[in-house]
Amino acid sequence: MTRSTDDIIIKTVSRVLVPFIQLFALYVIMHGHSSPGGGFQGGVILGASFILLVITYGLDQTKRRMSEKADAIFSSVGLLIYAGIGALCLILGGNYLNYGELSKILPVGLAEARALGILGIEIGVGIAVMAVMFSIFLDVSTGGLPPSDNSEEGP
Amino acid sequence: MAVRTVISIACILGGFFFFFTATIGLLRFPDFYCRLHATGKGDTLAVLLSLIGLAVYHGFSITSIKIIFIAAFMSLAQPTATHAISRAAFRCGVRPWRKEEGKSDDTSL
Amino acid sequence: MCVGTGLCFLGLLCLYRGIFGPTVLNRMAGISAIGTKTLVLLMVMGFIYNRVDMFVDISVVYALLNFVGSLAAAKYLEMRGEV
Repeated sequence: MTRSTDDIIIKTVSRVLVPFIQLFALYVIMHGHSSPGGGFQGGVILGASFILLVITYGLDQTKRRMSEKADAIFSSVGLLIYAGIGALCLILGGNYLNYGELSKILPVGLAEARALGILGIEIGVGIAVMAVMFSIFLDVSTGGLPPSDNSEEGP
Repeated sequence: MAVRTVISIACILGGFFFFFTATIGLLRFPDFYCRLHATGKGDTLAVLLSLIGLAVYHGFSITSIKIIFIAAFMSLAQPTATHAISRAAFRCGVRPWRKEEGKSDDTSL
Repeated sequence: MCVGTGLCFLGLLCLYRGIFGPTVLNRMAGISAIGTKTLVLLMVMGFIYNRVDMFVDISVVYALLNFVGSLAAAKYLEMRGEV
């Protein structure tokens, strides 16, 4: 399942389409408040773009673009952003995710502080969901074996 | 704006006609490759016509630009998916149907 | 609205090929055709309920996921062989 396709049509079309899929995923994350979307949905689409790369170009080429170490770092950074904003609101003297306290350090009003807090949370969730989806796909498709083991079947 | 409505209705009805013929082809053709031919080509053209009709009906706004984006993406991605499925069938050993044998897939309507 | 009802009926007709296709690849082609009809049906529903902006985003996402799913299923069926 992680071998490269030796067909030039599928390779070219997926290479052309992957940046647009990622751009649309970012659009879905940013516009969570006024159209269907949000953090989770945008993260799923972003993970699906990486899975498309693994299917068409093989595991080695995709690992050059997103290695397993970078994937683990992304998932932790996403969770850090989410919990960090919550803890920041806690430090500033309110409840755990009370974004109104953010107006004490940012030069905006109360309503805009809430909107910026929600946007930050969505970005953190999107990054974490993307990293976890890619990691689960790698574990299921390679069977948990280390990459130096050449015992995969396939065409 | 009667001209715009007439053009959009013509496009949507044309798209529905192509969907109808593509479905009839999918059900009645005797072989796998014939069915894939019908649904791959017919569905792509039908989606293109229907989305252009809906975009013309809505006027020029940010939504109609998104509809044109869906149409362009589908016209690029649907033939690639059809090609991938037919290539998988050829690698698995599915052979085209010949009329002299008198054999067809036994669940064509 | 007639177009919407007709599209729904055509989708159910395609489901026949999705269930009773002799081999697995026939079912794959039927499911892809159902997905395409669902995409246009969502757009038509958006126009009926007069909330186009919401349904357009859902349609784009479904088009993307239909494409990725078709490629993944075709690659897996090629690997496994014809049943």
